[in-house]
Amino acid sequence: MVNRSDKIHTHPYMLRSAIGPLVIFSLALVSIIILSLLLSKTPGRTLHYFFLGPVQSTYYFGNMLNTAIPLIFGGLGISLAMRGGSFNLGGEGQIYAGAFVTTMSALTFSTWGIVGAIFSLILGAVIGGLLSGFSGFLRMKWNTNELITTFLVSNMVILVVNYFVAGPLKNPETNLIATKKIPESFQFSRILEPSNLSSGLYLALIAVVLVQLYLYKTKSGYELRMFGLNAMFARYGGIQAGWYQVWPMVLSGALYGLGGGMVIFGTYFATVKEFSAGMGWNGLAVALIARFQPVAVIPAALFFAYIESGARNAMLHSDVTFEIASIVQALVFFLVTSSVLQQLGTKRVRL
Amino acid sequence: MSAVVILLFRSSIAIMTPLLLAAMGGLFTELSGMLNIALEGLMLMGAFSSIVFTYATGNMLYGIVLGIVSTVLLAALLGVITLYLKSNVFITGLATNLFASGLTVVLSFKLFNNKGVVVFPELGNLPQVDIPLLRVIPGISTLLNGHHLLVYVSWILLACCAWLLYRTPFGFRLRAAGLHEETLVSLGLSPARYRFIAFLISGFTCALAGAILTLNLGAFVPNITSGKGWIALVVIFLGRKRPFGLLFAAFIFGFADAFSNYAQGAWDIPADFILTIPYVFTLIAMIMLSIYTSRKSRFE
Repeated sequence: MVNRSDKIHTHPYMLRSAIGPLVIFSLALVSIIILSLLLSKTPGRTLHYFFLGPVQSTYYFGNMLNTAIPLIFGGLGISLAMRGGSFNLGGEGQIYAGAFVTTMSALTFSTWGIVGAIFSLILGAVIGGLLSGFSGFLRMKWNTNELITTFLVSNMVILVVNYFVAGPLKNPETNLIATKKIPESFQFSRILEPSNLSSGLYLALIAVVLVQLYLYKTKSGYELRMFGLNAMFARYGGIQAGWYQVWPMVLSGALYGLGGGMVIFGTYFATVKEFSAGMGWNGLAVALIARFQPVAVIPAALFFAYIESGARNAMLHSDVTFEIASIVQALVFFLVTSSVLQQLGTKRVRL
Repeated sequence: MSAVVILLFRSSIAIMTPLLLAAMGGLFTELSGMLNIALEGLMLMGAFSSIVFTYATGNMLYGIVLGIVSTVLLAALLGVITLYLKSNVFITGLATNLFASGLTVVLSFKLFNNKGVVVFPELGNLPQVDIPLLRVIPGISTLLNGHHLLVYVSWILLACCAWLLYRTPFGFRLRAAGLHEETLVSLGLSPARYRFIAFLISGFTCALAGAILTLNLGAFVPNITSGKGWIALVVIFLGRKRPFGLLFAAFIFGFADAFSNYAQGAWDIPADFILTIPYVFTLIAMIMLSIYTSRKSRFE
């Protein structure tokens, strides 16, 4: 699947290659309509809030954009791993651990000002990078399947962080199961009052540009892509194969960890127990829809954030539950890698 | 001492059964050349549908059968999209997991107006089996006798599975699909067909595995499988993709789980750390296995 030898021969290719994603998109929309008709007593109301809720007011619109921030980081993280030919299934744990470490560091170095803030974010990225880098290391050393090890490590880490958040590091002053709040000087400013949207959005966009530049304008990015496309060829070309089994994983986890830190500085200001549940998987979905193109991660993340906010809105104002979002997302997942659907319009396919 | 050990072994057998069943189905897909990470979602689907249908029909057998039907349908969906719409099996597997976890919660909200734990107090337990022949041997009897029916069913199925895979043309062809699919193609057979059947089989066994989880508990808990499908996948690798290897590997995990339950009662360790034990165990087992395999391949 990492084989993306997209040959651009014909001029209208771009237009025609959009047919596949459009089919998937419309199937997702149709599924929302069917689900509402089946599950809701007031399907019209449900659909209204699902589709229009996220764009109806500044508040919901800003929140939707805010939901997209960690998805952009996660999507970039997965894209880098996949482009380098590795899988990272541990996003859930990496984002959570990154957020936790960032929170703790921000609480510890609360007097350091901007230096402390940057340091805390870096620390969060480092922990994420170490967690997934470990799986990369195992793969390099003994060819251990990184798909399974990232997942296992992530599940362990979630439990360990849960222990600290609910146990020794819990803030006794709130009823929430959460750590203490980071100092106000560390918190990102709001950019679309009254919504939760923070200036972390700018950092997410900068990250997209940086990853794009890294992949296409640096030697290391080139080598990473080459290793991902054809490891054997890359090896014969004199590329350090071992390094590129570890490095994409490190980058991938670091972006996830950074995404976790961003959510803390921008939205939650404290590590709330399991606040990031689902973000890791959604980051993976975003990367898949974007087909591992850093720039395409932005619209993919917005699409995902839209479905989530729509479901949340429908839950608030109607009689369906939030989990219909997972069903719609699953349907997108099902179809997004279908080469039959993707080649609709570009090639004649026989089913 | 020995009484504790026998009881630990006994609960290991009870705990390993869902793993063994799910791994058995996963073995078919694995040998047919598909990495089936959907075991988790299929199990969840089986867990939910079998208890809901048992509740609706008032009969456990009907419940399990209808649970199997729904899970096999989900597996068929997975198979069709993966094999005939040519999608990446890994992603469709994730989709199945996401779909099952969403669908079960949505349906539980719709049917019982409850997104949390749904308790069915009046359903009763899975029937227990007493084998008179075993009763004469005291230790073995406490160990092997009086489990619920599906424990014994899983052993019978394991034997069937070994026979099917290694003694029938169907098994040879299914394994050929994984080993060298060109062989099948050259014989005029379709690898996709064997893989599709393998998906259906994995749906069948995962449904049973899931049914054990909920029917034993008399309740449905959201995401009740909690990673068991993934551990089943590791069981396949650790069991070296052989039917009786699965039994051994599943027992190890059953034991790790039983031991952590025991440790929770016996020592003062925070519950969250106890819960990591299966994952730590799995991870270590994975690493050891890969070290062993890489050493072996270096010598050859």
